[in-house]
Amino acid sequence: MLSPEEFREEYDDEELAAELPDSPISSLRSIQYLYGKLYTLGTLGGGQYAPYLTPDAADDIIDTEDSLIVVRVDVSDDEPSLADDDRGPVWVTRYSDDLVQSVSHCKYPAARGIDHSVTHQAGQNSNPEKLARYAKERLTKWPVDDEVQDVADEHVDGWIIDALAALGENEETLESVESGVTDALGGESTTALLTVQVKTEPDGDYRWPGEIDGFMEAMRRRKLSKLVTKNKADDSSGDATDLVTGDGARTVGTAEDPQNYFLGKQLEKFPGLDIEEAWRSHPISEDAAITVMNADTFVDECSYRTFGAKVYYLPYFQRVPTPDSARELYGLLYHATKDEDMTPVERAYQELRNRESEYELRFYVSAVMPHQMSRYDVFGETMNGRLLYPKTLAVEHNNVVDKTAAFQSDSGRTAPMPTHDGWDLLTEDNNRLHPVSTGWYFRETFAERDDDEAAADDPRIEALIAVLSGDSIAVETLLEEYVDRIDTDENDETVESFPSFRVASQFAQLCALATDELDLLSTDDPGKESITREPNYEEDSMETAAQILATDGGNAAAEKLETFIEDTPALAHDPDASLNDQRRGAFLLGVLIGEVGGYQNYSEERSTTLIDQYPVKSITRTRIKKVTQEAIGKTITYTRNEDRTITLFEHVVERLRETILRPDPDEWEIETDDLRFYYALGVTYGMNDHPDWEQTETDTEEES
Amino acid sequence: MTRQSLDKSVSEGSTERIVPERCLSLTVRGPWGHFRRVEGNIVKQTYRIIPRTTIAGLLAAVLGIGRDEYYDLFGPDASAVAIEPVRELRTVNMPMNTLSTAAGDLTSLNGRGKISIKLPDPTNLRQQHNYEVLVEPAYRIDVWLSDADRFEELASMLDAGKSHYVPSLGLSEHLADIEFHGVFDIEPIDEGAERVEIDSAVPGGFDDVIMDAGHRCQIEESPAFMTADQGGRTTTAFTTYAYNPDAGPLTVSGADAARVGDRTVVFV
Repeated sequence: MLSPEEFREEYDDEELAAELPDSPISSLRSIQYLYGKLYTLGTLGGGQYAPYLTPDAADDIIDTEDSLIVVRVDVSDDEPSLADDDRGPVWVTRYSDDLVQSVSHCKYPAARGIDHSVTHQAGQNSNPEKLARYAKERLTKWPVDDEVQDVADEHVDGWIIDALAALGENEETLESVESGVTDALGGESTTALLTVQVKTEPDGDYRWPGEIDGFMEAMRRRKLSKLVTKNKADDSSGDATDLVTGDGARTVGTAEDPQNYFLGKQLEKFPGLDIEEAWRSHPISEDAAITVMNADTFVDECSYRTFGAKVYYLPYFQRVPTPDSARELYGLLYHATKDEDMTPVERAYQELRNRESEYELRFYVSAVMPHQMSRYDVFGETMNGRLLYPKTLAVEHNNVVDKTAAFQSDSGRTAPMPTHDGWDLLTEDNNRLHPVSTGWYFRETFAERDDDEAAADDPRIEALIAVLSGDSIAVETLLEEYVDRIDTDENDETVESFPSFRVASQFAQLCALATDELDLLSTDDPGKESITREPNYEEDSMETAAQILATDGGNAAAEKLETFIEDTPALAHDPDASLNDQRRGAFLLGVLIGEVGGYQNYSEERSTTLIDQYPVKSITRTRIKKVTQEAIGKTITYTRNEDRTITLFEHVVERLRETILRPDPDEWEIETDDLRFYYALGVTYGMNDHPDWEQTETDTEEES
Repeated sequence: MTRQSLDKSVSEGSTERIVPERCLSLTVRGPWGHFRRVEGNIVKQTYRIIPRTTIAGLLAAVLGIGRDEYYDLFGPDASAVAIEPVRELRTVNMPMNTLSTAAGDLTSLNGRGKISIKLPDPTNLRQQHNYEVLVEPAYRIDVWLSDADRFEELASMLDAGKSHYVPSLGLSEHLADIEFHGVFDIEPIDEGAERVEIDSAVPGGFDDVIMDAGHRCQIEESPAFMTADQGGRTTTAFTTYAYNPDAGPLTVSGADAARVGDRTVVFV
């Protein structure tokens, strides 16, 4: 395949413009058509037969041992015979790059049947007997195929095809081919292409299939015939408007498409989907059909598997393709075939960052579940994916965990949310685009499921497609998934105590999704609307007036709590969002449980704490009051034990009392998942809330 | 003002278009909708914007015109249609249990009689297929027909809330509710206008749309016109629409927009 530089040299603006469609890219077929064009230009170039060949089908055996088996035939005499020169009738060699054109392979993408070209691809590691049979079929099966015979009757090279067929009737010849193959391979199995070389002139050389027009024409005819006769159709073709170019043309009904979205059969609930009439419901011209089929390589390279589904992520530039945008796209696709580690999302970002074209760049995105060859489900799909969303999400997540006061602190007290080097969603990661684009980003935070058995309603796939395409995710879905995962972790015996790092990861994700620029959270419930708003945590590490006051003897813990609540739209008091007060109540209760639990753990060295006593799943609206009373009761007990004058965790208790009384929890309307997630967030906050030991130590060292 | 260029977004069509002076206006809505995209029959994805051909079929159903008999009435020279999504365009995956309709799985009922129908065997095992379904779709539709009799007939049918066949949104199980708004004059807008806020989907794709951060803008191509022949029907032209999935307006330069009441739309 031409490198992007070679491609640029090979085709000037004018040549390229002539090949490109003149209508805007606006459907999956038009993207596939453009890909097919670029692929053909980048591999076999122009020419009458290039679009019909599949030069990549045997890509993996290029330059491997024994990868090309050639049956050599001399038809220059009246009596056709096998070659009797030094090289002999069967030549086993390497299938090298410079032979791709000569061998002119055209694969028939089906398990049974022979390839369209005289050149045929054998299965992986075929044994010599099988290969010998395939070698013989070059003479017995291909030349006598109906379509090939039609060409033989009309074409000037027809006699060569007939000569092959005649040889195929000779038992002796076939035995020689068989023994030739088995002898040459010495009993070893191999993965190979099988082809022929033919000497047509007494003084001439042995010629490859690519050098014999009759063979190429027969290949073309065989491939075209499949466009109208697959799946038992006799001739599904007719004159209609080509859906790719919009021009009137002979259209065909049973062409393949790289994603297999349209197959000729299935009457189903759409009347008129009769296989013979398939060209009516899916009118595609012969030329466009062939070109679309050629998109296969590029389309495949722009896909990856996740959650048991196959995600297609096909870049294109909006509007009518220009030579410049076509070259840019070719570059993207070319690199896709060379680089296995990156998802197309990352690759596009690598290639296009800081370039103006980014806005024009769009993606066709779909998640496909192939149940069987002919039964596909698409779980999410859009023509309108934009790089902006996954990229900005990756950046915003980094920003939240690395730069905001919600996760970072230098005030002498810990940040509201804990961070941990072992948790990828809690540390800055310059490669975050990878987990975002593969969906791992949601696998980490959502409820666990069996990845091999993706279901249409797997919220992780929905969330992934939403991020790739810029659609929003329902906050309700997130809360449900989050709480479910927290519960799993709490019951997991390998996870020690409360899963606070999980909760912190989820919270970071929630904040990143709520970013104004992305606006990826949605809700129909006015009570949850505040969760979808971007939080306004300080990004600056400058000391605020409050912090300065705190060092002067103010209550640092209280200030921190106050600030966190004020900066979190879902928790702050808001006359327009009445549920905020209830949510804050749940959060504050969590904070107190977390604080007391932490105290019990460190100061009292108790292994079972309030945190274990009140797991997230046990929290309901009806239990809120009771749990609150018990938690406050505990603080009073510990305060007495310590002989303190000020109640332990007074800053929490005071706020909790204020919030929990008005309205009375008996009248709360907040939904359970909402309640539980913010309770869990509170527990996480409370457990993490203490003077910053690291920083205190550093300070002490400096002083000494 | 060249109203002929109305059809420049249409991949095939005549060059002369009659200038519509008035149109009737209706809103179709329903709890669900599914407009099968031509790229797939194995997969069941839906268009977001109700295709023009579907509107033609829907209105023909109101008028009581049979399948394959109404394409001329809604042909490129004989009609104009503008489509405006009036609710946010949202889809869900709806798995449905279906029976195989492959030829081998169909049995004839009353095979020798005058009326014979083929049915799948109801005792067969179902296969589950995933349909992408629009949730509560609603479109405001402005229609002009050159056939004055049909136009008046349609207006009076809609006004009376009547319909010959049951109107539906794509599939027969997705029933449609039609609200009639009346007949409006169409006032063309000077094409020289640099920025026009368009309420309807904009034919022609992205080319005329001024992108701005405030509005999401998406694109799709769907069938626009059909014709019938002896064997059935074929699509004669497709239209590419740019649309705002949040059902808000799009800012456009140089489009052939027209005012209908207090709205600005583009006809195809």
